[in-house]
Amino acid sequence: MRWLQTISNWLRSLFLRNTTEHELSDEMRFHLEQQIEENIAAGMTPQEARRAATREFGGVEQVKEECRDTRRVNFLDNLLKDIRYGLRMLRKSPSFTFFAVAVLALGIAANSAIFSIADAVLIRALPYRDSNRLVMVWEDSSAYGFPKDTPAAGNFYDWKSRNQVFEDVAALPYGGSFNLTGEGTPEELSGKRVTANIFSVLGVRPALGRDFRPEDDVPGAPHVAILSHGLWIRRFGADPQIVGKQISLDHEKCTIIGVMSRGVQFPDRETELWVPARFTKEQLANHGNHFLQVVARLKPGVSLKTANANLATIAKQLEGEHPDSNAKVGTFAVPLREELAGDVRPAILMLVGAVCFVLLIACANVANLLLSRATGRRRELAMRLALGATRGRVIQQMLTESILLALFAGAVGLLLSVWGTQFLAALIPNGIAPVTGAGVDSRVLLFTLIVSLATGILFGVIPASRVSQFHLAFSLKQGGGQSGVGSGGHRLRDVLVICEVALAIILLAGAALMIRSLQNLYHLDPGFRADHVLVMRTPLPRQKYEAFAPRVAFYDQVLAKVEALPGVIAAGYTTWVPLTNSGGATGITVEGKPEPAPGNVLIPNTRIISRDYIRALRMRLVEGRLFESRDAGGTLPVALVNQTMAKNYWAGENPIDKKFKVGGYKEKSPWITVIGIVGDVHQAGLDVAARPEMYLPYQQQDFGFEPEYLAVRTSGDPIAIAEIVRQQIWSVDKEQPVAGVMPLEDLVDENLASRKMQASLLSGFAALALLLVTLGIYAVLSFAVTQRTQEIGVRVALGAQPRDVLRMIFSQGFKLFLIGAASGLAAALALSRALQHLLFGVSAYDPASFAGVTILLAAVALLACYVPARRATRVDPLIALRYE
Amino acid sequence: MTKPTDLVQGTLDLLILKTIALEPMHGWAIAQRIRRVSKNVLQVNQGALYPALHRLEQQAWIQAKWGESENNRRAKYYSLTRAGQKYLQAEESNWERLSSAIGLVLKTV
Repeated sequence: MRWLQTISNWLRSLFLRNTTEHELSDEMRFHLEQQIEENIAAGMTPQEARRAATREFGGVEQVKEECRDTRRVNFLDNLLKDIRYGLRMLRKSPSFTFFAVAVLALGIAANSAIFSIADAVLIRALPYRDSNRLVMVWEDSSAYGFPKDTPAAGNFYDWKSRNQVFEDVAALPYGGSFNLTGEGTPEELSGKRVTANIFSVLGVRPALGRDFRPEDDVPGAPHVAILSHGLWIRRFGADPQIVGKQISLDHEKCTIIGVMSRGVQFPDRETELWVPARFTKEQLANHGNHFLQVVARLKPGVSLKTANANLATIAKQLEGEHPDSNAKVGTFAVPLREELAGDVRPAILMLVGAVCFVLLIACANVANLLLSRATGRRRELAMRLALGATRGRVIQQMLTESILLALFAGAVGLLLSVWGTQFLAALIPNGIAPVTGAGVDSRVLLFTLIVSLATGILFGVIPASRVSQFHLAFSLKQGGGQSGVGSGGHRLRDVLVICEVALAIILLAGAALMIRSLQNLYHLDPGFRADHVLVMRTPLPRQKYEAFAPRVAFYDQVLAKVEALPGVIAAGYTTWVPLTNSGGATGITVEGKPEPAPGNVLIPNTRIISRDYIRALRMRLVEGRLFESRDAGGTLPVALVNQTMAKNYWAGENPIDKKFKVGGYKEKSPWITVIGIVGDVHQAGLDVAARPEMYLPYQQQDFGFEPEYLAVRTSGDPIAIAEIVRQQIWSVDKEQPVAGVMPLEDLVDENLASRKMQASLLSGFAALALLLVTLGIYAVLSFAVTQRTQEIGVRVALGAQPRDVLRMIFSQGFKLFLIGAASGLAAALALSRALQHLLFGVSAYDPASFAGVTILLAAVALLACYVPARRATRVDPLIALRYE
Repeated sequence: MTKPTDLVQGTLDLLILKTIALEPMHGWAIAQRIRRVSKNVLQVNQGALYPALHRLEQQAWIQAKWGESENNRRAKYYSLTRAGQKYLQAEESNWERLSSAIGLVLKTV
């Protein structure tokens, strides 16, 4: 407990300053008086007694000071003094303070905002127990064009039973939606079928009710469901008695057994409920149907590498056991965090780099300002040194000022960043809990504090260390003259400006490359026209539309009614509109080609469509014909193929009238005739090249894929027609849920949203850098002009023309720009390779981008030079010389 | 600033601790007592005494209380804390070991 006492003593001396001072004086006085009394008792006169006592005691003030020292209040005392003095200095030059705080606040705000995003996406633990032990397991079917394939249930089952590296393995079929009917409006919910162990693998428990049990997860078991916290509140009014109640899901009675704890959003934010997957024995033995997501928990101490080695061994075994389905199929695990962060990770790292640069530029700027201020204050500082202040003490005072500035800026920056974070939240991927907008996270607070302190030290230490170096006598002698810090100071300021220019070039080059990528994507022909197209989803309840005929009838009727609507140009059904599914593929055999060896099966993407789908999306017909009314059920099976499929599967031949079938030669499926070739469509994303793809009419046979997306091309605003289309669907089946109603253009925008965001953020930061650099160059040159007024005056007096003066100042400024630009370009070229990932259709060394930003910065630098240069030409030699 | 003290710092601490181990005392009395007990050999200078007292208090070996002096004046009385008592014991035995060791060396050589 001794340290507690020590601290309380320390705090007492610090905060009860007056009391302790009094006590100290009283103590000294008591001693003296005691001594005096003793002296009197020894026979001295009172006067003699006092004199003797005082002499014996020595310097009272020195003793007091030593006592204070032992209490270690001096350092803090000085600090308080420095802070008070610093505040006064900042108040005395409000424009400097405002400018410095503003510049730094912008830099700090950018850092805090980006940090809060980076923290959420890359650093903070996921809301699962020991989340760093969670991985997702994928199949590697690169041989078939799917380097990261959704695993087959049979493979999942074998991994689960054979592995030695996982505590447990859970699976959930890809996709998933449920029609919630009964009370209230019918609604399509995004939900997941999951194996019963999913929550125990994740390490989370329901907030209400119970978890799934193995007996819930067998075919034929009573239907049960666990609600997400969000759905419980949204749809069921947070009913505390919800457990045990029944709801109707896809027309089946289903008992709610639990409500998951808040914050669990697995595998994504949209998921609102979970039901047992209830895999059948047949499904768990099927190795060819790939439709799962698999999540596993590593045993403690097992590394990812060990896990992957074990999985590879099992994959090899399976290849031997099931050559038809598993030839050339590998297996690998990816940490869950990496999986959820996805492609956002490089973008966020890029932005982290960018904001660091912005902050460095801001620091350089403020350091420059401080340097010129320091020049103005050299007499004050020289005086302090002359009066006996140690250099350390002077540096402490200078640093206190700069840290004060930085802390102010940090406070302002924090406010800005709260606002900025909400804007940036769109960067957070779907599977990760979003940053809560309200209130400031303590981690962000701490980060901002640390950044502010570091910033203050960084930009403060340069001027402070310089100040402590200068020659005392020299400075005092120079008196109130105009002369500056001497050549050393100039050089330092020049270096700072050069660094600023270099950093700005890097940022500008990055932004230019990102913008070019975005432009390329916008100008890219995706193979369809997204304008004036309305899309919506009508997932048919399995129970009700088990048979093929009612399904066909549903599509026939809906399409006939929608096509008849005024303002509708074409309407079509498809399994997936572009940008909604990168896969959805089927193995086929091409007539006349040898049966492919295992591992070489052709697996084109499969789209089951209606007659006018191609027209509704304005896809291009390259050769042959599109589907017509005659391609109905019971007629010759036909198909359209895309250009990639035509080129890859019938190299050097004309695929029209060629035949293929689903499955191998032995398969009972009918031969399908190719009747036309359509242009490639970017299905997986605007920046992803097309795979081989075939289109089949929905009436001809049941492929196991059902059309779900209705696409309607309109003459007017597509949204205007949404309500009428929905009414037409309900006139066919009044219980049919309709979901995801939106213009196709929104899907395209969504697909580009994160790129757009990245490009605009980087551009914003680059613009900020540009502004700061302009100010930096301007500040340095105008300071230089002030410094050189006498010199310029002499030159003009000796006959220099304004042109000469202009050239002199320009060349000084431009020299800095050139050095900065050259080093910046070199650094940018080295760094832009890291951007390659984020670029599209533009090289990381794109000369046009690099030249462009150099010219832009050069123009701005010229402008920044011009104003001070003009001022230099107006120097009146008489006035200038009189200063001397 | 030079420290006007004839005593090694650690020794002064030890003397102070030992002196107030008997009863709480104010600074003046401590100085007097040390002088008296050492038969005027050890003269404790105020410039050394008070910083030492404040340091020991800061380190919580001793604690201070304001009280009435013999002649009814307010005086700051110092006494040992519990940690201080232990510290004193340790320091005493240290000192004994050291002085007997030095004594041995002086006698033998």
